[in-house]
Amino acid sequence: MHVPDGLLDLKTASTTAALSVSALAVALRRLRLGLPRRRVPLMGLAAAFLFTAQMLNFPVAGGTSGHLLGAVLAVVLLGPSAAMVVMTAVLLVQCLLFADGGLLALGANVFNMAVVGVLGGSAVYRAVCRVLPGRRGLLAAAAFASWCSTLLASIGCAAELAWSGVVPWGLVFPAMTTIHMLIALGEAAITTLVIVAILRVRPDLVEPTGTSPDARALRLVAAFGLAATIGLLLFALPFASSWPDGLERVGQVLGFGPAAGGRPLPAPMAEYRLPGLGSATAATSAAGFVGTLVAFALACALAAALAPRASAGAPPDRRA
Amino acid sequence: MRHDFLDKWSRLDSPIHRAPAGLKLGLALATAVACVAVPLAHWWALVAIGACLALVAAASRVPPSFVLGRLLLLEPLAAGVALLSVFQPDGARVAVAIVVRSTLCLATMILLTSTTPFAELLRTLRALRVPALLVTVLALMYRYLFVLVDEAERMQRARRSRSFSGRRAHAWASLATLAGQLFVRSSERAERIYAAMCARGWR
Amino acid sequence: MRPAVEIRGLRFGYGALPALRGIDLTVQPGECLGVVGPNGAGKSTLLLHLNGILPEKLPAEPCVFVDGQPLREDTLLEVRRKVGLLFQDPDDQIFCPTVFEDVAFGPQQLGLPPGELRRTVAAALAQVRLDGFEPRSPHHLSLGEKRRVCLAGVLACQPSLLVLDEPTSGLDPRGKRELAELLRTLPSTRIVASHDLDLVATLCSRVLVLDGGLIVASGPTGEVLADEALMLAHGLEKPHTLLHPHPHRAAGG
Repeated sequence: MHVPDGLLDLKTASTTAALSVSALAVALRRLRLGLPRRRVPLMGLAAAFLFTAQMLNFPVAGGTSGHLLGAVLAVVLLGPSAAMVVMTAVLLVQCLLFADGGLLALGANVFNMAVVGVLGGSAVYRAVCRVLPGRRGLLAAAAFASWCSTLLASIGCAAELAWSGVVPWGLVFPAMTTIHMLIALGEAAITTLVIVAILRVRPDLVEPTGTSPDARALRLVAAFGLAATIGLLLFALPFASSWPDGLERVGQVLGFGPAAGGRPLPAPMAEYRLPGLGSATAATSAAGFVGTLVAFALACALAAALAPRASAGAPPDRRA
Repeated sequence: MRHDFLDKWSRLDSPIHRAPAGLKLGLALATAVACVAVPLAHWWALVAIGACLALVAAASRVPPSFVLGRLLLLEPLAAGVALLSVFQPDGARVAVAIVVRSTLCLATMILLTSTTPFAELLRTLRALRVPALLVTVLALMYRYLFVLVDEAERMQRARRSRSFSGRRAHAWASLATLAGQLFVRSSERAERIYAAMCARGWR
Repeated sequence: MRPAVEIRGLRFGYGALPALRGIDLTVQPGECLGVVGPNGAGKSTLLLHLNGILPEKLPAEPCVFVDGQPLREDTLLEVRRKVGLLFQDPDDQIFCPTVFEDVAFGPQQLGLPPGELRRTVAAALAQVRLDGFEPRSPHHLSLGEKRRVCLAGVLACQPSLLVLDEPTSGLDPRGKRELAELLRTLPSTRIVASHDLDLVATLCSRVLVLDGGLIVASGPTGEVLADEALMLAHGLEKPHTLLHPHPHRAAGG
């Protein structure tokens, strides 16, 4: 999902860059004050690890393969601030070493994956952990949060493309989200499997989240309620009619004229009618909402299947 | 995967390679801005940029096959978006604009990355007052990238030697286990690196 | 003359697992001491105590004295300046993106100005016969070159005590010979933990045998390593150098 250069116009690139820099500044400041020095090498190695892990090919079908993004994996292993910095480092290296992702678009890529993906994923992770207890809860939280974080990153990408006037919002949002709802399932599965593998050997490496296990059934209901809320936020909010207009108004306030190239901005709510389904956007909203609930259910099922495997044995002897 | 797969051409000697990293970075950024900001009506400007890039590529002695190969590898993303935009009014023009702009920008980045050793870029970042923690993380990441990639390759080879099922579920499970092991080893290595840094008086 | 290293009654365990069960040791300045023993004897653990990496919290009553100075929390940085420790895995130790930055790391932490830094790095690299390696990336180096870069990084801080953990492991025969020759020419006090008994035989004047966290034998190299029964009892063997003169190495230590 790395956005290359040449797609985003200057106002989008600079706005996302400014947002990313501010978010990173906050994260770096928190780390400077609160991070013990012994964790610094771990951050560097974690960044190298994420890059390496992103290169692993998880076979899907035919010749295609899925890959890890790792935003929520980083959160689970390092905490949100460190995860933001580590993901940024990965994106920087990919751009400056591999030309993967544009230089001008760096702000947007960092915004999508290292800021929105991390913070959104972290919020979902913490929320679900608070509701669902124990090891199973942690795994379900990680699975669902990684699904959400991938989706959030893709929505960010769609918004940037629309705001740049490259593709109309009414087209790019449904396209991006439907594709990424599926891709995100891979992210959820890979993230959870990797966490299980780590928990088996070194459970101390996973950031602890404590909840006491009680009132099981009620918690599950609450959890689904949470998932439903998230689904609404993801898929209904963007279509509150003021959203794309809001973006344009922000653009005007900031002094940006029409998109570069002299092309007029397309009508914000370009409605594409699909036969039998009404507007594509409404269809996407509904599908997205349902999809969120399904993803959550799958996350819980995965967690239930994997939880027994995630129990660690006695902590191994550690030689310096 | 050979360990120089990321840094293959950055150690050649050419006038482009010898230019200061900060200058190259600034020019790359300026080129990207120009590519995006120039309206399509002034297409001759884009052609001029393309010509300049070709000159730089020739002067840099980086093999053209490498540059073209990378272009082809990374281009599909832009092409995909271009395809989507065809459904717009005036779609063909937009699509062409996207492809031209993104190809020029991509070529710029490929030339930048293949003529500038990463260590120099880090020094530039430090000079630009990028926060020390981020630069340290980048430096450590770059240093240990190759170590981890080698380790991952060895682990995959070992696993493949003992995998006979070919079932996708097994592949996912074993890849995830590999990744998990890689992280655990990395975190233990990080502890040893911390000891080594302290041993040499890290403040 | 004040001993370079003095250890009195050192005990250490990893959690409940005892690793060192009472070590007493004295090393004279300029001496080259070998530490041998089977795997798990505690050699690396012992070495890590010499610059305060272990224990994680230094005791108020110090057991380790370097150049007469007790190793405590308040003297830790000073002692670390004097002790150059070479780890087993050079990849753990070379943590900077270029050779120059890595060798310069120690002197930089000590506050050397940039001009002098360049000279110091060049001198250290010349000492290990890696002239001109400054701009190289560590991952492009061979194992032997990496080991020498680590040594340069340590020598650049001009330590009075050099501690080496398995310096020749993984090297080809030429690499081993070259490193041994290099180590022989260094004037500082050296402590070498190694499985390479031929190295110990040619380099070290005195040797300790460590087993199960205790020193089970200590004395001149020629005597201890030649004691075949002792060697076999502790998972070692009499080095070939003492059986036949080595065709490519100078004898004696």
